[in-house]
Amino acid sequence: MADTDMNAQLIEHMMEPKNYGILEDFNSQGVGKNPDNGEKVVISLKITESNGEPVIGDIRFQAIGCMTTVVAGSIITEEAKGLGIARAYELVDTTMRILGGVPPQDAACTEMVALALQAALDTHEARKEDPDYPAITYQITQSCTPKEEGI
Amino acid sequence: MKTLAIMVHEAWLSTLAAGFMSQTQSKQRLFDFSDILFRHFCWIEGIMIEEGESYNYDRDSIPIKVERLSVILQNIIQRLNQIDLQLIGLNHTLGSRISSDLHYMREVLAHLPDEKVEAFGMQRKLPSVLLSEEATDALTIFLFEESYKEYELILIYNYLQAHSDDATLNKTFQILIEESFFHLKQFGDMMAQMGILGIPRLVPHEVYQVADLETFLLAGIDEEKAAKEECRKLSQAVASNSPQLAKFFDFINNQEDYHIELMKRALDYYKAKQHG
Repeated sequence: MADTDMNAQLIEHMMEPKNYGILEDFNSQGVGKNPDNGEKVVISLKITESNGEPVIGDIRFQAIGCMTTVVAGSIITEEAKGLGIARAYELVDTTMRILGGVPPQDAACTEMVALALQAALDTHEARKEDPDYPAITYQITQSCTPKEEGI
Repeated sequence: MKTLAIMVHEAWLSTLAAGFMSQTQSKQRLFDFSDILFRHFCWIEGIMIEEGESYNYDRDSIPIKVERLSVILQNIIQRLNQIDLQLIGLNHTLGSRISSDLHYMREVLAHLPDEKVEAFGMQRKLPSVLLSEEATDALTIFLFEESYKEYELILIYNYLQAHSDDATLNKTFQILIEESFFHLKQFGDMMAQMGILGIPRLVPHEVYQVADLETFLLAGIDEEKAAKEECRKLSQAVASNSPQLAKFFDFINNQEDYHIELMKRALDYYKAKQHG
């Protein structure tokens, strides 16, 4: 492994993104979208019961976006898998708080993933009242301006 | 038929990945077989369109991380066996042609020499090339982004071609498919050498089920220009350490000019056809 900023864990997520695709038997879905360039992330959830509590039994994401979005999707969905609903909302909040200290162009891709997860969780909540409630879409607030790679 | 298409799609990518892993004369054989499987995929798609069967390019993720080439070769043989079984239900002359191809490929794959696979070691170094950390990171990102992009373009142009009977547009799409295959093979080989090989991820439906060709071509021209810029920056970054690698990225950069020209011509032709 080369001694560089890009660590092995990050490269593994690039080589084989975790939880990529669409679940065949999802029961909730949410979308995070960048209105400026059409990039988006779709998160599908299979909410199941564990000890009488709803948990994320399975999760997938699909992205129209850059490699940063894919890596963020791979990491966040891996973290979210198996969490209860309240813990999953906490994961979204924590991610958004961390992004508050990150330059907007770096934060936008991860924000898109976090908002897709929030949208999927909110869709799940809305479907308790209306099972046909459509998948919710949230738009990012950060600007994803292509940056110089510094090469 | 949809199941058959998915199985062939996965076998095509798996065989292509095995080609990237091989560092011997088997490489070309595996590339040739992956090309044949891609053609099978296109022909099956053609039948689905003829028969009015709805379909998409969805597929499962394809595990390819192996330490020995023989492991993935065995996996491909199993995939080909399963495809052959699936062909029994295909009431079409294409079935016997594909089955005959599969029979030969299985025979050859079973006798290819084993190799130690170095494509997943994450060493991120190219043979005889010493790059700075920044250049290595930039090259890493470039290869992941662009290998996906080339796969995506192959699927987009293939889908457009399958759904168009316009000879002029289809000629352009075919050239662009072949060009993307060349780039994908170049980038995939480089990823394997750097120990960062991965299968391109699944392409979302809306990306290749193009609703507006004019908008798609305009956006595509911009993307080609962006790709040129990435190639130019990479060429500059590696020039002092590896003039040979710099020339490679200049070569890819210059190829994009022709893609842009082809897409501009396709755009003009399509607009004239739509409005004239």
